[in-house]
Amino acid sequence: MSQRHSIEGKDCATDVDPPSIPKRRQELLKWNGWGYKDSKFIVNKDNHVEFTGERYQLSGHTMTLLRDWMIKTVGISLDHKTPPQPELTAKDMPTPVRNEEFLADIRRTNISHSDDCQDRLFRAHGHTLSEMFILREGRFSRMPDLVVWPASHNEVVKLVELANKHNVCIIPFGGGTSVSEALLCPEQETRMIISLDTSQMNKILWVDEKNLVAHIECGIIGQDLERLLAKKGYCTGHEPDSMEFSSLGGWVATRASGMKKNIYGNIEDLVVHVKCVTPRGTMEKSCQVPRLSSGPDIHHFILGSEGTLGVVTEVTLKIRPVPECKKYGSIVFPDFEHGVACLREIAKQKCAPASIRLMDNEQFQFGHALKPESKSTFTNFMDGLKKFYITRIKGFDLNTMAVATLLFEGAKKDVDAQEKRVYEIAAQFGGLAGGAENGERGYMLTFAIAYIRDLGFEYYIVAESFETSVPWDRCLDLCTNVKDRLHRECKERGIQFPPYITCRVTQTYDAGACVYFYFGFNYRGIQNPVQLYDDIESCARDEILANGGSISHHHGVGKLRKRWLKKTVGEVGVGAMRAIKEYLDPQNIFGSGNLMVGDPEESAHNSSNSNVSLPSKL
Amino acid sequence: MYVLSALWNVTLVRLPYIKSHCYLRRTLILSSPGRKIARKMSGQSRNSWIIKDDPRLVSARQKDFFVDIIDERRHTSDIGWALRQREVPAYKYNKARSPAEIKNDVLKSDRVKYAVEKIMEESGASLTDVMKEAESIVDEMAHNLRVGVIRGFAIFLVKVMKKLFQRVYVNEEAISKVRTLIKEYPVLLMPSHRSYLDFLLMSYVFFHYDLPLPVIAAAMDFMGMKFFGWLLRNSGAFYIRRSFGDDQLYWAVFTEYVQTHICNGDSPVEFYVEGTRSRTQKSLPPKFGMMSASLEPYFKAQVPDIMVLPISISYDRVLEEKLYAYELLGVPKPKESASGVFKARSILEEDFGNVHIFIGDPVSIRNYSVGSVDRTSHSISPRYIASLSFQEQALIQKLSYDVTLQQLRNMAISPWSMIAAVLLQNLDGIPLRQLVKEVEWLKRQASNLGAYIDYPVNETAEAIVHHNVFTHKNIAKITEDGIVELVSDDSMLVDKNGDNLMTQAAQELMVCLYRNQLLNVFVRVAMVAIPINSCVKDTLLIAELRSQYQLLEKLLNQEFIFMPGQTDQDFDMALSCLTRTCGVIVQDGSVMIKKSTNKYTTFFSQMFEPFLLGYWVMCRYLLSIQNGAHGKPLVKLPKTISKEAQVLSSQLIRDSHIKHKEVLSLDMMNNSLHSLYHLGAVHKEKREGKTYMYPNLVLLSKVTEDLSKFIEVPPMPQTTINMDTKTVVVNAKL
Repeated sequence: MSQRHSIEGKDCATDVDPPSIPKRRQELLKWNGWGYKDSKFIVNKDNHVEFTGERYQLSGHTMTLLRDWMIKTVGISLDHKTPPQPELTAKDMPTPVRNEEFLADIRRTNISHSDDCQDRLFRAHGHTLSEMFILREGRFSRMPDLVVWPASHNEVVKLVELANKHNVCIIPFGGGTSVSEALLCPEQETRMIISLDTSQMNKILWVDEKNLVAHIECGIIGQDLERLLAKKGYCTGHEPDSMEFSSLGGWVATRASGMKKNIYGNIEDLVVHVKCVTPRGTMEKSCQVPRLSSGPDIHHFILGSEGTLGVVTEVTLKIRPVPECKKYGSIVFPDFEHGVACLREIAKQKCAPASIRLMDNEQFQFGHALKPESKSTFTNFMDGLKKFYITRIKGFDLNTMAVATLLFEGAKKDVDAQEKRVYEIAAQFGGLAGGAENGERGYMLTFAIAYIRDLGFEYYIVAESFETSVPWDRCLDLCTNVKDRLHRECKERGIQFPPYITCRVTQTYDAGACVYFYFGFNYRGIQNPVQLYDDIESCARDEILANGGSISHHHGVGKLRKRWLKKTVGEVGVGAMRAIKEYLDPQNIFGSGNLMVGDPEESAHNSSNSNVSLPSKL
Repeated sequence: MYVLSALWNVTLVRLPYIKSHCYLRRTLILSSPGRKIARKMSGQSRNSWIIKDDPRLVSARQKDFFVDIIDERRHTSDIGWALRQREVPAYKYNKARSPAEIKNDVLKSDRVKYAVEKIMEESGASLTDVMKEAESIVDEMAHNLRVGVIRGFAIFLVKVMKKLFQRVYVNEEAISKVRTLIKEYPVLLMPSHRSYLDFLLMSYVFFHYDLPLPVIAAAMDFMGMKFFGWLLRNSGAFYIRRSFGDDQLYWAVFTEYVQTHICNGDSPVEFYVEGTRSRTQKSLPPKFGMMSASLEPYFKAQVPDIMVLPISISYDRVLEEKLYAYELLGVPKPKESASGVFKARSILEEDFGNVHIFIGDPVSIRNYSVGSVDRTSHSISPRYIASLSFQEQALIQKLSYDVTLQQLRNMAISPWSMIAAVLLQNLDGIPLRQLVKEVEWLKRQASNLGAYIDYPVNETAEAIVHHNVFTHKNIAKITEDGIVELVSDDSMLVDKNGDNLMTQAAQELMVCLYRNQLLNVFVRVAMVAIPINSCVKDTLLIAELRSQYQLLEKLLNQEFIFMPGQTDQDFDMALSCLTRTCGVIVQDGSVMIKKSTNKYTTFFSQMFEPFLLGYWVMCRYLLSIQNGAHGKPLVKLPKTISKEAQVLSSQLIRDSHIKHKEVLSLDMMNNSLHSLYHLGAVHKEKREGKTYMYPNLVLLSKVTEDLSKFIEVPPMPQTTINMDTKTVVVNAKL
């Protein structure tokens, strides 16, 4: 069954600067966890948590506080481990469905493809909790039957034509970082499913310095894009937390948001032109203009369409000169409420720095626990002094305090002025400048947390993040009520250990904010942790909606959140989306079943549960 | 209310006097036969670890789930108790605020701002003027809960409680639950409301158990009282106008004031879902305004949940019994010979028995509304603009009924209620031995239906009757030849008809108040028993019985609390009670009338007879209203109608056609009028802002006929029958 075709593609790998993620992802990335194989949190021989590898700032460091923090907050025990199953092999995976005519046709093209089981497995999932648990403990009952790596827009056009001709289902795949179960194959799909991996379409085709735009292929991943542009002195400034792995096409398809959107905008603000291949043909505008009054913006059909209408192949993005100055900062508030009020005021005065995030006390403490063992006694001494100042002189309570992390970018003098203004506003809300280091560590936490989850998995912890957007007046109540709901659900459902529940206000807007939650718990003694987690997260989502929050700010709907779509956009809204789908893709070639497609009641969410056959652990 | 303020004076002035009274009362209690035995036996002891060697001994301090919280106060210093350190739990998201800060927050709130702007726009008034008005509203409304005053208040309360009551029982188990709840969620306290003492007792209990004192929604009538108004305000009462129609500013201030307490969880918020004291002691159909205002913060997702605590307060003897009786009759209470102060003192010298306070199961509005309410509907407009969806309003109504019904279920029924019920069926007196038998029988029936009867097991039934009659010696007495009968009031009030009918009626109504406490237990089975008992056929189809039950429920739903939409379940339940324990026989879908008409059905029916009789009188009166000039019936104010129906009743009583003086109750007349309106037998018409009523003769005759099938109705006086419309005679007597 392993007939691998032209793994060595025509033109990748020959470039001077090869893409960071290879075509065979398994060579570099974990098969059942987040990120690079070399980087992970482990409990070392001293029973301390250490981050391996040399890739990150944290790499090679021991976090002496982390173990105790984990024991204290979620009740892990180093003696109780839940190791993952050994790597899945061909026998553990479903036999691929073969559409012989399609295969014959594709062989006649020059398009790279493979039905190698590992290639298929790597493209069968995103990174939600339930998907990770399938990898660690279960089996997929449905997977892509073939992986194809088109190398250009024209190859995509060809592929979609063939799929249309032979009625084959396509699920586009970019960086694989989805957290909405968008990549899961619908279990009921009987047609052959091909995973259209865009990773080989990773070139910056041209840079237009007059208009400050760049024309880029969709498969490029965030870190490569920024690195390549930086060589020419530019950046896009689009930095979602997943930027090491996620791709440009994926950003467009999910309406992604970048950390520094305050300066650069979210993906919808950055996109100037999109080329999208649909079964009906290629959809694009004929001009590359800053704004257009010509009916509903067709870009917005594609932005957030989650692979249901077609594949994005090329995008023209705005670019900016690399900023002169980049500076971290932080503000300490006596409590979260003061912090929210301050962020609201900063948003009102429209002087938000590139990034401003407000972490609640639980996250602040988490960040603190992530502190690497400091090498010098002087740093320890200084830390002691700082703590003394904040708690004793300023009277802050370490158990209520909240911290805002800041990132300033721009010309030196602008950054200075902005910094001054932000700290002035903060002072009105009882905020104290907390130093650059705290700020930087806050951002590091975002990168690290995906890795930490894998460590938690080893010790009976299930954890996940979810996010929403909310008007300012409801922001604080939403945070309070959602946390309260989570605590209550955990208690009522008999979870033995205190759950870890934390949130941050992670983006500010004129009319509201984006709130990001982390939620995890220790499931020792519980039968079906994934189901339980999903049930509780669903309660949290209900609570979010009841609190005036949204179905999603940037993660998207996928299959995981389908059941709230109608409530969000209304019956007519869903109908209109379906009408577009019906026109562009009447055969449902792009059959991932995400968003508005299919019956939300029997969404893949349910099927994914039946997809998982988990042994109960006690 | 002057009684209470006077009461305070007395307590202040007469502190040394109190102790001797306690002593006096105790000797009284001990002299009841049961106690005597207990005391005699406690002398010798078989074993040293047994202090009181009496197998029949039942602790009065701790009985069932109740604990007397007054007892320990009788042995320690009240002042020390009032000044003690209190560890009070607080809501976890509470930000401590002073009463002044609360007022300030209310005035600065979006809601009030929004209302102020709207009023300025509509009336052209200046900002300062409107704000001034808002300030004066909030000043009039706000409580000024202060620790210092609370302690003083506590001393006052404990003295009053000790003076008035023998024991104040609380189901202590619930207290620890309340303590946790208060930390977790905003709490609404909803006590039943049968006496002014209700909120004093609530505050007392909360003070006793180191719980935060509630803030209490009180009616304006207290505010006017000089000292008492001040005291209550400083102890947590806030004052609300009874009606404020479409006064936007008042609405805004009131809503914000209530909601800010709930959102910040400053204190538990206490209010009466019945709206006002139930003068009849039966419970009033719930009101929804305060409930809606209090629960809106949950529907608008301003709080994670709200906990509603139904609380039942039962009195052996109600402080306001006489007041209520006269209020119900609508005649002024006879002036006592002495001054108010003297009256108050005499109240303090009286014995009001025990109080039972039962804190019911908390209702989480979140759990209660799962599946029936979608809070998302509020996402697209600001939360300070008042709005509740239809589903939410329906839910609030259902919850209000549920709370009232839970209050009723958890009432402690005093033996006196049962004595009263028996006495009212034997208005000419009943031999003690027979009374005892009847009471014991009735007690079993009430227990079978789930009522909690406060019936001491260590005393003989006879002793219990003795004791209870003694407590209510102003109403009933045992004659020397062992007949129990009603006492007639000696203050001979002679009304304009030259007799003392109203005074006699008041005496009888006082008895009714206590029987009423029992009626809620029996009302559903009685509504099945009545059609059975009055049936003239051999068999009665269940379906027919059901429809008669439905009619009775429609008629009586102003008097008793029925969960809307649950009529059928109630009927099924009641019928199955009757068939299982009361000998009612159902065969082939019909009730066998002869076999089923028995002591049970008869007694139950008779308990409710006065109501049906009263309603019938109302119907007859309405039928007699003369047509106006254009063939349309004359419209009258509801108040006038009730008054005039009462006149007809009094005539029927004087002519000995009706025995039950209870039908003179204006409350009963009002209720009947409302029920008839809901049945369509009476119409409303608005004229110049006032509501008038007039009968729908067709429907009304039908209802009258139905009623006369259920009960034996008196023949109308000769003249009226001949006239067929009776108008001439009746009107002539008015």
